[in-house]
Amino acid sequence: MVVAEVPKLASAAEYFFKMGVEGKRFRPTVILLMATALNVQISKPASEGVVDMFPTELRMRQQSIAEITEMIHVASLLHDDVLDDADTRRGIGSLNFVMGNKISVLAGDFLLSRACITLASLKNTEVVSLIATAVEHLVTGETMQMSTSAEQRSSMDYYLQKTYYKTASLISNSCKSIALLTGQTAEVAMLAYEYGKNLGLAFQLIDDVLDFTGTSTSLGKGSLSDIRHGIVTAPMLYAMEEFPELRSVIDKGLDNPVNVDLALEYLGKSHGIQRTRELAAKHASLASAAIESLPENDDEDVQRSRRALIELTHRVINRTK
Amino acid sequence: MFIYRGICRISKTAANYNRCRWLYSSASHQQLSHYSRFTSPISTSHEVLGCRVNNFLISRPFSSGGPQPSYEGSSINDPVDPFSLVADELSIVANRLRAMVVTQVPKLASAAEYFFKMGVEGKRFRPTVILLMATALNVKISKPTSEGVVDMFSTELRTRLQSIAEITEMIHVASLLHDDVLDDADTRRGIGSLNFVMGNKISVLAGDFLLSRACITLASLKNTEVVSLLATAVEHLVTGETMQMSTSSEQRSSMDYYLQKTYYKTASLISNSCKSIALLTGQTAEVATLAYEYGKNLGLAFQLIDDVLDFTGTSTSLGKGSLSDIRHGIVTAPMLYAMEEFPELRTVVDKGLDNPENVDLALEYLGKSHGIQRTRELAAKHASLASAAIESLPENDDEDVQRSRRALIELTHRVINRTK
Repeated sequence: MVVAEVPKLASAAEYFFKMGVEGKRFRPTVILLMATALNVQISKPASEGVVDMFPTELRMRQQSIAEITEMIHVASLLHDDVLDDADTRRGIGSLNFVMGNKISVLAGDFLLSRACITLASLKNTEVVSLIATAVEHLVTGETMQMSTSAEQRSSMDYYLQKTYYKTASLISNSCKSIALLTGQTAEVAMLAYEYGKNLGLAFQLIDDVLDFTGTSTSLGKGSLSDIRHGIVTAPMLYAMEEFPELRSVIDKGLDNPVNVDLALEYLGKSHGIQRTRELAAKHASLASAAIESLPENDDEDVQRSRRALIELTHRVINRTK
Repeated sequence: MFIYRGICRISKTAANYNRCRWLYSSASHQQLSHYSRFTSPISTSHEVLGCRVNNFLISRPFSSGGPQPSYEGSSINDPVDPFSLVADELSIVANRLRAMVVTQVPKLASAAEYFFKMGVEGKRFRPTVILLMATALNVKISKPTSEGVVDMFSTELRTRLQSIAEITEMIHVASLLHDDVLDDADTRRGIGSLNFVMGNKISVLAGDFLLSRACITLASLKNTEVVSLLATAVEHLVTGETMQMSTSSEQRSSMDYYLQKTYYKTASLISNSCKSIALLTGQTAEVATLAYEYGKNLGLAFQLIDDVLDFTGTSTSLGKGSLSDIRHGIVTAPMLYAMEEFPELRTVVDKGLDNPENVDLALEYLGKSHGIQRTRELAAKHASLASAAIESLPENDDEDVQRSRRALIELTHRVINRTK
């Protein structure tokens, strides 16, 4: 799907879809599981023994959602790396580092337009609207991150909103799209949305914790890349609630390593890490609850997928990297 | 009577174009319907005459709020001015566009609004074509029915068509924002480019924001074929820009490659928008194709003349233009024709146009060749293909339809006769 007439563009666009560099493929996994969980199965042989070799058309349409979501996600990565002057991504040189900012911007645009074309082919304008909104949210979230005032940077509400935009919106709207494509009720669509949203939020909150703790449970072994970029995340925000003086340290500027160390000290004394884990766990169980509220279904595959989705909510909060 | 929501805004419309060459006449302050301005004294059978040159004004600084003198009715031989024909509606579109790029995040809002601000909207060429096409295909701004009740249905349809104009403009501006990042441009539309003023990051984001807004608006039209067409146009913009960035020497000497790139970069958006208009109004596939052909040929003609003007500027002789294409190593139609006549020119070009000596040498060859003339001829050919497409539209006696069609044809003439 990312083949283009222009070779340079093609290799740019394909960059992150190459074998070995696809990332965890987290989003497509969730989306495909959700499709099964909502009782749209890969077709099975009919009772006469005739094997239906091809997935149903509906299944293919839902696979398209997974593809679209991944294209949008990669497009946002390409643009983000330009914005952040990043050198590496997914363990290899970032595209902008290897090929330049120009081609990265273009490749991102290309993926976005391909995503739109694929979206259009689904002939469901509500889905187009949802996914387009998710793209807008990605942009809004990134801008919120770039342009925070000191006031906003200390606000948990602002942070959660930004996190929703940047991380959760795409996956939640994709899940909802799956439901819509299956012709589910508005209630089921909302449950799918809630699953995606809470899963995404839980994921990001643990991400924030791991940035401090790394693979150990104690502080300071993580990459600390957020704090070093002046990005104040949930653990630090909680710490600021406990130690108001921490805020002045942060306002002084986290580009100064002395302030970073001081901030980490405060964090260590506070319950910031723990409270963030608790918040993540809360969102994870909201996600689980959404799955459990889905209409009953006896089918084996459906039940298995639902259990898998619930398992994901556990893994998201128990992972160590 | 159809009340123009924009009437109060029209009086405040002050276009301050540094590079815009079209007269943008504002409506009179009278609360007249759009049509009464044109029922007299202009005879409907008058075709375009030779007084076009009146409409090519150097832009004057306009004080805000001042109404512009209308050129309608100043002579019985006045040609149909495409831009004044849709000026009122354009204001409505422009204002909606501005409202649409408002967002929660102020920094993003000011970035996105950057090019929609009063005075910086550019020539608004595309929206003009789109709105004219809408009327030419017989979709009217609603008129009072005989009972005096406004026909709401056609208003809704008209609003949808105006959306196409808005979407097209958002896509166009998004591409400008990204292009300026790509080109490290300092200025655009006579003011500091956004990336120059606010940085590359916000320009990339603002471009993405506009694109996503365009997609949302597209989705609201609930016509997935239109979504598909315009998404394809976005892809073409990207492809065209990449083609321009990454040409091999072989490709750079190829007229076919150049025309393909030009289609992608310039003509695809306008052609697919025109086709979208036809689709939204439920026209036949044949009419949709004619609309597409009009847009495509108009766009190509426009770009070819753009290429000429980059060499000639306001004079008909060489070298008075800004020469920005050639200085950026972009080989355009006139130079390609010259290379056909003088194969040795290709070696000069391959040596590298970042060297001013080579540029001068190339210009010499161009002067000796028929490059400029042949490009003009090609442009004229595309312009008349565009005209022909309009003339092939199904017959329609309605005055407004005929007037819009004449205006569209008038545009094809202006595009090739303009001097800047």
